[in-house]
Amino acid sequence: MDEAIRVEGLVKRFGAFTAIDQVSFAVAQGEIFGILGPNGAGKTTTLEIIEGLQPPTQGRITVLGRDIKSHKNAIKARIGVQLQSSAYYDYLTLKEILALLGSFYPTRTSPETLLQLVGLSDKANSYVNQLSGGQKQRFTVVASLVNDPELVILDEPTTGLDPQARHNLWALVREIHDRGVTLVLTTHYMEEAQALCDRLAIMDHGRLLAVDSPKNLIDRLEAAYTVKLMLDQPLTIEQVNSLNGSVELVQELDGNAWPKWIPAYAGKTEGHYLLRVKNSPAALGGVLDELARGDVNLERLEIAPVTLEDVFLEMTGNELRE
Amino acid sequence: MLAFTIANLKMMARSRQATFWALFFPLLLVVVFGLLDLGFLGGGKIAVVDSSNNEASQQLRSSLQNIDLLEFQEGEVSVTKARLRVEKGQWDYLVIIPEGFGDPGPDPGSPVSVTLLQNNRDPQRNQLMQGVVRNLVAEAQPASLRADLSLLLETEEVETVEITYFDVVLMGLIGMAIMTNSIISIAVRVSTYRNNSILKRLLVTPLPIWKYFASEIAAHLVLAMFQAVVILVVGVFVFGARIHGNPLWIFAVVPLASLVFLNIGFILSAWAKTPSAASGMGNAIALPMMFVAGTFFPTSMFPWVLPQISEVLPLAPMLSALRLVAIEGLPLWDAWPQLAMLGGWAVATALIAIRVFRFS
Repeated sequence: MDEAIRVEGLVKRFGAFTAIDQVSFAVAQGEIFGILGPNGAGKTTTLEIIEGLQPPTQGRITVLGRDIKSHKNAIKARIGVQLQSSAYYDYLTLKEILALLGSFYPTRTSPETLLQLVGLSDKANSYVNQLSGGQKQRFTVVASLVNDPELVILDEPTTGLDPQARHNLWALVREIHDRGVTLVLTTHYMEEAQALCDRLAIMDHGRLLAVDSPKNLIDRLEAAYTVKLMLDQPLTIEQVNSLNGSVELVQELDGNAWPKWIPAYAGKTEGHYLLRVKNSPAALGGVLDELARGDVNLERLEIAPVTLEDVFLEMTGNELRE
Repeated sequence: MLAFTIANLKMMARSRQATFWALFFPLLLVVVFGLLDLGFLGGGKIAVVDSSNNEASQQLRSSLQNIDLLEFQEGEVSVTKARLRVEKGQWDYLVIIPEGFGDPGPDPGSPVSVTLLQNNRDPQRNQLMQGVVRNLVAEAQPASLRADLSLLLETEEVETVEITYFDVVLMGLIGMAIMTNSIISIAVRVSTYRNNSILKRLLVTPLPIWKYFASEIAAHLVLAMFQAVVILVVGVFVFGARIHGNPLWIFAVVPLASLVFLNIGFILSAWAKTPSAASGMGNAIALPMMFVAGTFFPTSMFPWVLPQISEVLPLAPMLSALRLVAIEGLPLWDAWPQLAMLGGWAVATALIAIRVFRFS
């Protein structure tokens, strides 16, 4: 399979601060590739280097088979970019903005076709500030398609959108993908990465922690469930140790790990645990048996399948910071 | 690039607020000055052409200098040139001292007579001046020559174009309008585009970025021309201002001068963190310059070194070039020192703008 992007040994320093530290990955043509990580992880900087907005400190990057150093303009003509929180001109209509952007490229798609794609045909003569948040975001995505690109890079396309608008945007991303376009997008929403991306890169503090499909990433944990326990008293060391046979991880939680709408537990931190349980019915039973043996009262119990969030937690030791 | 320029012009036309300020304030002042009858500019000006250059002529010269009512014009010019200046209305009085002034000569009964050239602006003042100058001429002569006062001075009246204060201030208002709008509009637009990442968005397209700057500049030059046309039309056709030279030269000065102010706008946009800071900085530069550089009154009225300072501000050469071609009716090339100064400003500000400009 041909590569849409290849990044090798990318380093970016701002003075003494290393924003990106030895990052290497490749994006295959035709896939939806996600870069997942908290704010400040280096996602946007990585994208801006690929787009040619910033020079790398070190490393070699090829886009659509060409080196970005020597073929900057040729690459720019073949990719589409949506920047994080980019606005558009206040006093041009949607149609005029798309026509203006299109005029910068050798090949272009007509504004009418593009607006139809995102269901904004009836807004062709409106200004951007007359659109809703979801419509605006769809417009900025479609504005990255004016040159009929082979590769589209979207930086946090769904940040700040309500769930309905987010799902609309996912549909749009899939539709673009169905046309054979390679997509790279960043997000800090786990469910979005899981639902949308063929493969994922997980970044934190400028380092690349893993690159794989969401399923493989989850399978790496060798656990099927997470169990959140809220007990009336802390477990003893012995109890924790005996749990460890069937449980992969025992972590003490602070009060914030529980949903805010359980007021009785708010602020209480003692006796809260997160367990990661292996994929066997006996494992869960073993945990409950152990608690029963120790005469511990179970105040609350939550069982959930392992998600990317747990993968992230495992890799970074942190909850995903927004 | 043409498409981009047209898009920029469209945005300007649609951004009613910005267009309003580009024209409202200057036009308001056109109305104010058009309605006020401020008459002629300043006090009278007097000059001397001295062909004798002897004791008597120097005495006359220095006593003419001491007439409080009039502004004495220094400098040696030929009689023909001096005459032309009176005809053009730059000087109100010209005293021509012929050769042999104060010299008893062969016939003391008919002394050489001094000529007083005056224009027809102010007949009352002319009458007064005739008496004053005649007395001064008499005083400067040896007693033997004072015999017949009426022989000592010949007066000649020249028809001159009437230059009103409004004609002069109208050029000032054109300069002010273009300066203020060029600086503030560019500074605010560019800092807005930077804050909205629009500049970055342009950078990810293959558009050579100089085309962006060129299209901004082209659109603003068109706007500057438009401002000049509107102000001239209102000034001339509504309030009766007169252009005393070739009006086309005005439109040769305007783009060069507005280029300087656009560059200043680009520089400010780089320093300002927000669009409102850019607007404040633009005003902080444009307002003082408007008063100091001669929009409403001559820079020479300022005390201390301020006249020298204000002469080198970019608005000053713009205004004096506009007035040379439109008030004094000289051809454009006679304003070459002003144009050269504007050119220097344009180059210097462009270099600074290129150095400090930032896209994010």
